[in-house]
Amino acid sequence: MTAPAPTTLRARLDATPWASPLGTQEYFVNMGPQHPSTHGVLRLVLKLDGETVREVVPVLGYIHRGIEKICEHSNYRQLVHLTDRMDYLSALANNWAVTRVVEKAAGLETNGRIEAIRTLVTELQRIHSHQLWWGVFGMDLGAFTPFFYGFRDREILTDVFERTIGGRLTLNYIQPGGVMHDIHPEFVRDVKAFMAVFRPRLDEYEALLSENVIVQERLRGVGVLSAADAVALGATGPVLRASGVAHDLRKAEPYGLYGQVQFDVPIGSRGDCWDRYAVRMCEMRQSLRIVDQLIDHIPEGKHFLVKPAAKIKVQPGVWYSHLETARGVLGAMLVSTGGEAPYRVHLRTPNFNNLWTVTAMAPGGRVGDLVAILSSLDLVVPDIDR
Amino acid sequence: MGLVTDHLPGALLPLPGGGALLTAIDQVVNWSRANSLWPLTFGTSCCAIEVMMATGAARHDLARFGAEVARPSPRQADLLIIAGTIVKKMAPRLRTLWEQMAEPRYVIATGSCAISGGPFLYHSYTTIRGADEVIPVDVYVPGCPPRPEALLYGLLTLQKMIREGSTLARPGQVRRPVLAALPDGMTLDDVRAEIAALVQETATVDRKAAAAVGAAFAAQDRV
Amino acid sequence: MAADLLPLAGLALSPDALVAAVQLLCPAAQARPDCDRPAVKVTVGDWPELAGRLRAHADLLFDLLETHTAIDWPESGRIELVYLLTSLRRGHHLTVFVDIPRDDPVAPSVCAVWPVAQWQEREVYDLFGVRYADHPDLRRLFLDDDWQGFPLRKDYADAFMLDRPS
Ligand code: SF4
Repeated sequence: MTAPAPTTLRARLDATPWASPLGTQEYFVNMGPQHPSTHGVLRLVLKLDGETVREVVPVLGYIHRGIEKICEHSNYRQLVHLTDRMDYLSALANNWAVTRVVEKAAGLETNGRIEAIRTLVTELQRIHSHQLWWGVFGMDLGAFTPFFYGFRDREILTDVFERTIGGRLTLNYIQPGGVMHDIHPEFVRDVKAFMAVFRPRLDEYEALLSENVIVQERLRGVGVLSAADAVALGATGPVLRASGVAHDLRKAEPYGLYGQVQFDVPIGSRGDCWDRYAVRMCEMRQSLRIVDQLIDHIPEGKHFLVKPAAKIKVQPGVWYSHLETARGVLGAMLVSTGGEAPYRVHLRTPNFNNLWTVTAMAPGGRVGDLVAILSSLDLVVPDIDR
Repeated sequence: MGLVTDHLPGALLPLPGGGALLTAIDQVVNWSRANSLWPLTFGTSCCAIEVMMATGAARHDLARFGAEVARPSPRQADLLIIAGTIVKKMAPRLRTLWEQMAEPRYVIATGSCAISGGPFLYHSYTTIRGADEVIPVDVYVPGCPPRPEALLYGLLTLQKMIREGSTLARPGQVRRPVLAALPDGMTLDDVRAEIAALVQETATVDRKAAAAVGAAFAAQDRV
Repeated sequence: MAADLLPLAGLALSPDALVAAVQLLCPAAQARPDCDRPAVKVTVGDWPELAGRLRAHADLLFDLLETHTAIDWPESGRIELVYLLTSLRRGHHLTVFVDIPRDDPVAPSVCAVWPVAQWQEREVYDLFGVRYADHPDLRRLFLDDDWQGFPLRKDYADAFMLDRPS
């Protein structure tokens, strides 16, 4: 085995041959880290031939905070709040992923009420996240109205979270051995009111954006990702399902109460931007369906079984647990050598793995399509960098 | 001239030798600057959702205060709202953006990350402890993330500061950093000292009392 | 193409059968009982060949490299590489551990088998300093090119980091 000498981005760019067979010259354009449609601080180095994209090199680290290192210096309870700050649009699913692995490792139990609350709020947040994505997706395509419509409806749900949880974005709600607070007495009524409002609005969304011929023209056949590429590049979540692979951990390895509810897993057939758009639109309806089945059947009981003050200890070993967030598979690996703090925590984030599909989708397309492709991946950059 | 100085004090600045300088224009300029801030869209992390997006959207509507023309290019913006964590790799870019902005430029730091490093203060090898290590900040808006209302309050604070800011009559009036949502006369150093004192106080645990509470909880659990 | 990737239900191997199947492919593989999911430990020499077979073998079909990371064990002078494999078609999982020496951390790259490994390995190089032979583009991923040291190693220290006062 020969170990290669590590290179740098500069060296990599310098090694690129300049002339193309057409006689035109290829050139580099830097996109980001301060760019309105990279949604945060993602940087892409584009190799272009005229308007045609030849290669995309993502450059990361503009929001790398070293969360895995901080985890090593935290106890098992303190892990939860750090996960809020990775994929903040799926904060509850992130909380749950870490909570599940801690519960598994420490042998903590939950009850029916806890699992029902967790499933409900996480499913509501899937809608919450997709609402924001829909608004921003419209904005990236050049339509400003969806942004306002998406946020208008998202605020209703934000209020529901705020009443029960007390926060709007970084919720820190699902804890090892329970949830932080019991649901608000008005929770059930609020959620039903939201669903009554949102169902017709979803049709409005479809009328506004999905049925718009310009949107369809910009999305159909753009950024095609084959199923084989999607799996090889580690994509999960709606990105993988749009390419025709019906893999959803809520079905494949049911957790929470997902085993007891009826829902479908929407899949695409071509894997283009349109399919990724359509899959998420269908997922919102499926999430409403799940919430509908659970909302009247929250069992009675305690909302926590382990007191917040109790210390959590874990036997030496390696644990891994994963679940499906709004963006794909989020996994948490815990390595313990005993005691109250983890020896090592690794977080497998959906965005880190989904990002690389852009290197397969963008080449050959136009620069304008790249924006649609990026937006259809629904990236959250702090989740990539951690 | 007597008419002007009598009725609009401060609008004319008497000069030695009997002349006068018309300074009302300064106030008009400051007034218009304060009410037409053009923010740069700059969000690195979680705070961006609340501060850049939710505040700009329909319900909270930043446009009410004349600051909705978010510009993606720093050359067209005069207000930098730092929304999110700044890490070592981003810090030089932040500095560049700030330097490219049109003068006079203002900076609002939102969220604990941009104030102090926030949840990533300890054991992080990259997080910068506060945006003010990189660029000067005018207004701090605390929260993790701050609510949209908090940003609006911070914006109003900034507008007030600009209106009362430097004029020809009071050249070079130094703007001091302001922590939005704090009473007048309190400086950031006071806040830091107070936080340190509070942390000191709450970090001292009465072990006996804590053990008693724990035992009570445990007993309740068993029932 | 999509059709052959649809999950085949009910064909997942039980944890014991899975470990036994891996041991048939690679007799030196040891089971790891301290892991909550089926796990094996293999030597660095066996790993590249085993990786290809894990992906191709009709009973195993590990098509997704869910994640790749490392654990630093300074006391025993080794870095343990962790590969979490998933078979979307079969619905089972396997964790593979590979030990490499800490003072000369060289490992084979598996990006020919699972292309996503290219970036996951770059992350491990960046944070642990593991050098992957035959990696097409081994660069730092998150940190600046001129960064000194590998921060997720247990003995990493720099003048910038703050310890929480106790
Ligand atoms: S202050 Fe809190 S919400 Fe804001 S960027 Fe930092 S961690 Fe995120």
